[in-house]
Amino acid sequence: MPDNPQLQAQLAAIEARFRQRLDDELDTLDDLCAQLHDDPSALRSLRDRLHKLAGSAGTFGYGELGRVARQLEQQAQTQLDAKQPDAAVLTDLSSAGAQLRPLLKRDEQRQAQPQQLDAGISDEDRHRHVGLLIEEDDLASQMTQTLDSFGYQVTRLASPEALHTAAQLDALIIDTSPPGSRLLSHPVFQQAPGQLPPLLIISSLDTFSSRLQAVRAGAVGFFTKPVDLPLLERRLERGFSSQQGGPFRVLIVDDDTELTARYQLVLSNAGIRVDTVSDANLLLDKMHKFIPEVVLMDLNMPEYSGPELAQVIRLDDDWLRVPIVYLSAETNAERQMSALLKAGDDFITKPISDSTLLTTVYARAQRARMVSDALARDSLTGLLKHADIKEQLELEAERAKRSHAPVSVAMIDIDHFKNVNDSYGHACGDNVIRALSNMLRQRLRKVDRLGRYGGEEFVAVLPGCNSDDAYQLLESIREAFNALQFSSGGQQFHCSFSAGISACEADAWADEELLERADRALYRAKQSGRNRLCRDDGVPD
Amino acid sequence: MTALERIMHIEDDPSIQEVARVALEVVGGFTVRSCDSGAAGVAAADSFAPQLVLLDVMMPGMDGPQTLTELRKLPVMEGVPVIFMTAKAQTQEVTAYRALGAAGVIIKPFDPMTLSEQIRAIWEQQHA
Repeated sequence: MPDNPQLQAQLAAIEARFRQRLDDELDTLDDLCAQLHDDPSALRSLRDRLHKLAGSAGTFGYGELGRVARQLEQQAQTQLDAKQPDAAVLTDLSSAGAQLRPLLKRDEQRQAQPQQLDAGISDEDRHRHVGLLIEEDDLASQMTQTLDSFGYQVTRLASPEALHTAAQLDALIIDTSPPGSRLLSHPVFQQAPGQLPPLLIISSLDTFSSRLQAVRAGAVGFFTKPVDLPLLERRLERGFSSQQGGPFRVLIVDDDTELTARYQLVLSNAGIRVDTVSDANLLLDKMHKFIPEVVLMDLNMPEYSGPELAQVIRLDDDWLRVPIVYLSAETNAERQMSALLKAGDDFITKPISDSTLLTTVYARAQRARMVSDALARDSLTGLLKHADIKEQLELEAERAKRSHAPVSVAMIDIDHFKNVNDSYGHACGDNVIRALSNMLRQRLRKVDRLGRYGGEEFVAVLPGCNSDDAYQLLESIREAFNALQFSSGGQQFHCSFSAGISACEADAWADEELLERADRALYRAKQSGRNRLCRDDGVPD
Repeated sequence: MTALERIMHIEDDPSIQEVARVALEVVGGFTVRSCDSGAAGVAAADSFAPQLVLLDVMMPGMDGPQTLTELRKLPVMEGVPVIFMTAKAQTQEVTAYRALGAAGVIIKPFDPMTLSEQIRAIWEQQHA
């Protein structure tokens, strides 16, 4: 049914009309915002309008806009419930329209992504937005500079009040070291998992209790001063990787439709995609269509037991890794064990509180995604492995040939890498490799393919880029990487890379392998002094 | 079990009204009557004789729960399941809607492709 073109056309037309109304709607929001401080009824109208928007935007693919509208609606509701309105929150609300507009653009760009193949090399949308709440100016500017060189968009939050907007950021870094800092007791850190972006904490104290406090606030990283910035960047990247690949997918297998509906509600509220099966005959079919990352399974159903169904799932090699969690009223530990021995990974005992359900599912899903990602990718950098990047290159070259579009390939090699390993140790060498891979990943576009080709060698495939585009892009990355300061055992040092670029222009297809040409150009770059780019086309570099 | 054919959708947001209509008519094959207010829904119930009502919770004028109360006074609505649609999705609210006699709750934003499936599941559950 989703392939029905007539339906698609109708939905697209409705979506277009919704989009038109959206502009008016945002204008109305602006008007209401302007009246907030003077007219008490404006707040109520604002809440109602935000509520509508929260409900409709997601249906039409404006997911982020809808989510933020929902947060603003909740803020407005809190104000309506409060005896004394909070001036700071009102001020924040009065920019509701202004907060939503950029999201509209972002959602639109995201929707248009598949058509953006030839959009050149600048891709503002790719930049992740990191918020810093750091008092110390030196540290803040140093961090801004480093993260900026990795391609992040960095905003320094002026005060803890600005934490209201934390959910709109992609990551948050806060410094809890000023004496008497009570930042971590801010209500924003008391939310359920999944509501806050990845949080990294900087502290001047390296004690168990300061780490514990960080964990309790939901931190995914903890750093003491002086901060190792490339290491921090790596942790930041890891925080994102568990969020990549869209919302988690959870399948509920339960014959109690009432309970299922409730679980579904709790999970979808936290942004998890949920599907349900009440008829076990449809289970495998549903698994293949939905590809769940976690299965929640009732232990006792009328015709089958949970462990039986779990074993049926496990008969299929595709599903060996998917965690199966039983939902059960069974509190007898022995019987729980015997169920787990047959198949399955965990138990949640009914009655299940919303937060237990959410936490268990979230933890399992996160873990499952990390494991399956780790298996498919290079363990050090998280990039495609040698064979996979070659395959991607062939695919892109074929595609380019068919569509008469250019494609470029860059072969990148870290200079004097052996010296880094010899002087500072292999762990430090690994950090350098990771830093470069993260920088490339951040700076390249979503459509670009990036792989670790060998020890310190990377390959980037850039569809839609001609030789000049590729050169310009790589040159800016080369400069940024060269400016990056590494530290090891109290010593500071810099690294560089050389790169060879080859391109196939739309109208002049060379038969020779792109990769071989890039490799030759790389060799020339190395020969002529390193820390530079060479092209295979004889153009002076 | 009688097959579900006629659905009344009460919703003041024209975009949602439109997309739900297409979703229910084209994907689900239902006959849909859209009403843009609780009052309009109550007025149209007799002639349309819905088998199921999809009802927005937050509407100006008569809101969802008030509309439900009015609908329940009509003989034509006897035994007709009413499903609330809402962007508010706290568990306690859902429990409250159920206490009002709602057969189910559908959360906005919804996926037009699976809306009919969700409604059919609630219908089947009502008639199981």
